[in-house]
Amino acid sequence: MTKQTQDAYIVAAVRTPVGKAPRGMFKTVRPDDMLAHVLKAAMAQCEGLDPAAIDDVITGCAMPEAEQGMNVARIGLLLAGLPDSVPGMTINRFCASGLQAVALAADRIRLGEADVMIGAGTESMSMVPMTGNKMSLDPAIFARHENVAIAYGMGITGEKVAQRWQVSREAQDEFAVTSHARALEAIGMGEFRQEIAPYPVEEKRPDLAAHEIRSVSVLRDTDEGPRPGTNPQTLATLRPVFAAGGSVTAGNSSQMSDGAGAVILASEAALKRFNLTPIGRFMGFAVAGVPPEIMGIGPIKAIPKALKQVGLNQDDLDWIELNEAFAAQSLAVINDLGLDRAKVNPLGGAIALGHPLGATGAIRVATLLHGLRRHNQKYGMVTMCVGTGMGAAGVFEAL
Amino acid sequence: MINSKFAVRKAAVLGAGVMGAQIAAHLINANVETLLFELPAEQGDPNANVFKAVENLKKQEPAPLSIPARAASIQPANYGRNLEWLRDCDIVIEAIAERMDWKTELYKKIAPHLGEHTIFASNTSGLSINRLAQAFPENLRHRFCGIHFFNPPRYMHLVELIACEESDAAMLDDLEKFLVTYLGKGVIRAKDTPNFIANRIGIFSTLATIHHASAFNLGFDLVDALTGPLIGRPKSATFRTSDVVGLDILAHVIETMRDTLPDDPWHPYYAVPGWLQALINSGALGQKSKRGIYQKVGKEIHVLDLATQKYRLSAATVDDGTKELLKHKNPAARFAGLRTSHDPQAQFLWALFRDLFHYCAVHLAAIADNARDLDFAMRWGFGWNQGPFEIWQAAGWEEVTGWINEDIAAGKSMSATPLPDWVQEMGQGVNRTVNRDIQGVHRAHGSYAPVPNIFRPRSELAVYRRQLFPDRLLSEEIQYGETIFETDAVRMWHTVDGAGGKGDDGIAILSFKSKMHTVGSDVLDGVQEAIDEAERNWRALVIWQTEPPFSAGANLQKATERLKSGEPPSTLSVLAKKLKKTAQSAVLKAARSLNLADALMAGKLAEVEAMVAQFQQTSQDLRYSAIPTVAAVDGLALGGGCEFVMHCDRAVATMESYIGLVEAGVGLLPAGGGCKELALRASQDTKDGDPFPLLKNYFQGVATAQLGKSAEHAKELGYLRRADQVVMNRFELLYIAKAQALALAEAGYRPPLRARNISVAGSTGIATIKGMLVNMLEGNFISEHDYLIGSKIAHVMCGGDLTPGSLVDENWFLELERAAFIELLATEKTQARVEHTLKTGKPLRN
Repeated sequence: MTKQTQDAYIVAAVRTPVGKAPRGMFKTVRPDDMLAHVLKAAMAQCEGLDPAAIDDVITGCAMPEAEQGMNVARIGLLLAGLPDSVPGMTINRFCASGLQAVALAADRIRLGEADVMIGAGTESMSMVPMTGNKMSLDPAIFARHENVAIAYGMGITGEKVAQRWQVSREAQDEFAVTSHARALEAIGMGEFRQEIAPYPVEEKRPDLAAHEIRSVSVLRDTDEGPRPGTNPQTLATLRPVFAAGGSVTAGNSSQMSDGAGAVILASEAALKRFNLTPIGRFMGFAVAGVPPEIMGIGPIKAIPKALKQVGLNQDDLDWIELNEAFAAQSLAVINDLGLDRAKVNPLGGAIALGHPLGATGAIRVATLLHGLRRHNQKYGMVTMCVGTGMGAAGVFEAL
Repeated sequence: MINSKFAVRKAAVLGAGVMGAQIAAHLINANVETLLFELPAEQGDPNANVFKAVENLKKQEPAPLSIPARAASIQPANYGRNLEWLRDCDIVIEAIAERMDWKTELYKKIAPHLGEHTIFASNTSGLSINRLAQAFPENLRHRFCGIHFFNPPRYMHLVELIACEESDAAMLDDLEKFLVTYLGKGVIRAKDTPNFIANRIGIFSTLATIHHASAFNLGFDLVDALTGPLIGRPKSATFRTSDVVGLDILAHVIETMRDTLPDDPWHPYYAVPGWLQALINSGALGQKSKRGIYQKVGKEIHVLDLATQKYRLSAATVDDGTKELLKHKNPAARFAGLRTSHDPQAQFLWALFRDLFHYCAVHLAAIADNARDLDFAMRWGFGWNQGPFEIWQAAGWEEVTGWINEDIAAGKSMSATPLPDWVQEMGQGVNRTVNRDIQGVHRAHGSYAPVPNIFRPRSELAVYRRQLFPDRLLSEEIQYGETIFETDAVRMWHTVDGAGGKGDDGIAILSFKSKMHTVGSDVLDGVQEAIDEAERNWRALVIWQTEPPFSAGANLQKATERLKSGEPPSTLSVLAKKLKKTAQSAVLKAARSLNLADALMAGKLAEVEAMVAQFQQTSQDLRYSAIPTVAAVDGLALGGGCEFVMHCDRAVATMESYIGLVEAGVGLLPAGGGCKELALRASQDTKDGDPFPLLKNYFQGVATAQLGKSAEHAKELGYLRRADQVVMNRFELLYIAKAQALALAEAGYRPPLRARNISVAGSTGIATIKGMLVNMLEGNFISEHDYLIGSKIAHVMCGGDLTPGSLVDENWFLELERAAFIELLATEKTQARVEHTLKTGKPLRN
């Protein structure tokens, strides 16, 4: 185990339900408001914690511009009513941003330079699309052939992984069906109830005839992505979207989503000082780089690296939250490392539950820790592939 | 009292079925505020039925709306709550199901809600207008009539206007004006007889076709091969048309004729054939149920074979002999050949025409005012190239009359009724050896009207004065004004008093003479000469073609032939003389990147480049000449044609203009100023100094060779500008274009100042577009050559490898256009694409 000054404990982990983008239940909800919401909800779970004691709020966001620009972390925490003495910073490692935020927050404590930290993530893909509002590529990308893959869309990389790791269309569709089935079952069993902070969506719409503003408020408490009745037959009818004659479809890819998550971490001293009950312990985190054109295999490099750091074997893990960017890369990772499919995404993954890019990491930490505790399990991991060719993995212990 | 200054500000359509919704869509195309009524839905939103119909409009092909976004302008309404809205409507068009009892009930319900001046018209296709009028309060009947649109109403030119006994004459004239100018339709006044004119003749023609097909034992596919383009009718011919219309609808219309025309000599034929009834009973209603007389199986078309009662591959071909007969230039010889041939296919066609002529002659007096109305009804309502009387007259009125009489006497015709006496008279009294063309029903001073036995001149309604050159009958000669100058490629002319309005308005017109009005050097010479002439002696120049298309683009035949030929190139200096300004050679630059060791090829490419430079110069002259230039567009304006449209000071385009920069389809890019113009517009129209967002959209249009689906769509794509005028009726195009030209001249026209500070997207823009292209390449959606073409287009439109935000002039872009055009043309793959398209009319993917 790596040497650290002190441990970082997780005392709260919450998230919004995840909405579909760009036309789902949160399409009009701002990402800074979603962030403020989860910060408030997380604080509400830590009775006795003095907000002024928070050393920093680190927020992950994959496209930090426009509605989620201008250092959304600082804006979100001020909107959440935290004192202005609490600082905030926004960080970006694409799909690993939320997990990276939690890891950075933990590291400040582990280094002994902070006692209470928040790691969070927020993303509205309805408001800021996948490549941002204004994609602009460096001409140098095309100067060297090796760099062309920087321009690749994620779908193309999914196709390349499917080809190289020989993941068939049928296998991908079957994986997607399982993801939906698990997610629906989990929702039915109330598995996500502890981690979700229901979000009241308020909209003001014009009544043109009466010339009045009509306010509508709906409380959203359930993930929007899982589709009942998803079966191999219906998925087989979908056309490949990224390559002619390819195998990656909208049905076996992660969904575009809106959502936010927040995790409060504390040192042992802070636990005592504020009388906080830890639900988990942060153990370690690793990132690794891979060729951009096969970015989906990132976890194959990151998972062993993280396990080595914390001194665990793969088999020691009870639960793995592997972000399902694509069924193709998920299966490549599972097959390559020999992961136990029963332990990977037992409550479904991003194909069903959605993937609000920079928020996903923080959201799945909440899923993992509450899940491990409910099922009396101990070690778990959150891992994902990252655009332009990276992998990230974080290891947690439930308490 | 009908308002003397009649205007339709608001309209309502009752019934959101196939026709009702499409009529509403077309009113919206014409910028008329429109309410669409339907029964209130039993559950949920009371307008749910209308919403569904409006949603369908966005998906339907061919598109009823000029652009899908216009669907939002149709205001949904229902009979339950919104009847009081009818009061503000200037016209209410009823288009509910063809049931007398339903219509009667609806009329009673809505009558109290109509406004003081509201016109109420039924789109019935077969019910008696006078009987429908009975359902309407007596004091309102003067504002009632029939208004019969043809499906699809946006595209079919015909509207039949049917008066009831009480219809106010002035109201009908107002309505005609509205239909012609504002909805762009061709109006025919029909008498109140079952199915009116076009459907009466058209359905008889279908029944006669069924009868003779059975008699000659010809399959449905063979009959369609015979009765389509070979005889001047649409490709869907007889039975495919029936499938499109719906076999149940066809049966319904036949039954209407059976029930309402008991004394008709052809009444025994007004019956639904057994096989047709069997198809309907089995649910095979045609296109809407995916099975009818034809059925699509995968990519194959299968046709019902009556002998086996099974579908088989549709593969009929017409006998060479019959084809040869039909190719005869001389219609008289064509018909004589058909009649005397022993080939059953030829005999079938003769029998078909004979009975059609016979039927039209016998019924003309009852259903229409005159022969011209009947002929135009068939052309505008059924898409026939010629009406029945035109065909008859062209084939020789007297001979054909004699043949019909012989066949009647021999018992060969479907009915034994004699031809009316006037038919005989039409062939007499004229010295046929001098001019056989003036035998028949269409004469210089009018077309025959059996009642009151005169030759009826064309309508004198004021609205037709806007049609300088109206649709003409084949026998009518047109003189297009007076020539200013004429070459093999173009004619410059002006209108004269009488034919085509005032001669002294100072507006010169230029028309191309090339096939499909393509643009080669000879046309470019002509345009440049016309601009020079107009600057010297005229107030404005309108480019207008005597018939569509506006232009199919640059003539690529010459360019590719030149590259293949062994003939050495003429020197550049000789070619440069053709140009007002010597264009700097892009070939030298291109030669470096192409490794053009072959001097001969380099020389030939330089020649082509000179042609391209001449094109660019012509575009620039259209923009910067001292006189206003107006492009009057109808139909296709492709590639170079589109570039001319973009460079004229103003475009006036009919709604049915299909405009696009489609060069990428043949492996090239717009190099007549098209890329330059889009880059210029992006730079001028950007709000924040960054042209890229607009440029990216323009790039997509050019790279995918996107063709506008209407003039409104061309505005969305950026090929037409906001100020460009959209015209609904193509026969009014020249009138309106001249008016626009005159208005520009009267306004003290000065050409715009030269664009000198065009901000470019530069290297970053190119890289970002290449980022999109590389994903399509990796996904196998485009080929390597597509990638090359797309990259070149991006390169030109972004102003080349410059630092973003650099400022350049128009010449900078024009030079990039030429260089990229030459580089692409020099590739084998582009040459193969051009050749393939010239040969087959279809794009080649390589």
